[in-house]
Amino acid sequence: MTTPSPMPPEYYELLDEIQAIDFVIVELNLYLDTHPQDYDAIQQFNNSTFQSKKLKKEFEKQFGPLMHFGRSYSTYPWQWDDQPWPWQV
Amino acid sequence: MSHTNTKYYYPYISPYDPCNPIVKKSYPTPPQLYLGFQPPNLPQFETAKEALYSGTLWPILYDKYKKHD
Repeated sequence: MTTPSPMPPEYYELLDEIQAIDFVIVELNLYLDTHPQDYDAIQQFNNSTFQSKKLKKEFEKQFGPLMHFGRSYSTYPWQWDDQPWPWQV
Repeated sequence: MSHTNTKYYYPYISPYDPCNPIVKKSYPTPPQLYLGFQPPNLPQFETAKEALYSGTLWPILYDKYKKHD
């Protein structure tokens, strides 16, 4: 057994993008909790959510499941317990 | 809307205090303390990454929390 090779750069680039868009979604979500009438913010929230789902789908197509317990589809064979684990990324 | 992000105060120093005194102390006062109810359609950062690295979606709420003496 040898040290697994590092993930390709796209792996980290995609994760960065997902992290950034998810942060925008969190900010908008918290904002909307106190501004439920803000139509533009809701539109931006939905656009961001759509983009986030798209990025996650793209990531999972290339690198397998991003989340478990039914939040992502699995590849064959079961890949969820492969390295890198979330804290190893 | 101008305010200082850090404020200072001078605690009482007791003559019986065995440790060397801290003369001047500071506390952060970030922008949200002065904003009240957030108005809609505030300008946002250009990119999601910029917002992520600044810790907020809206520049006027950004505070560096700079370390200071």
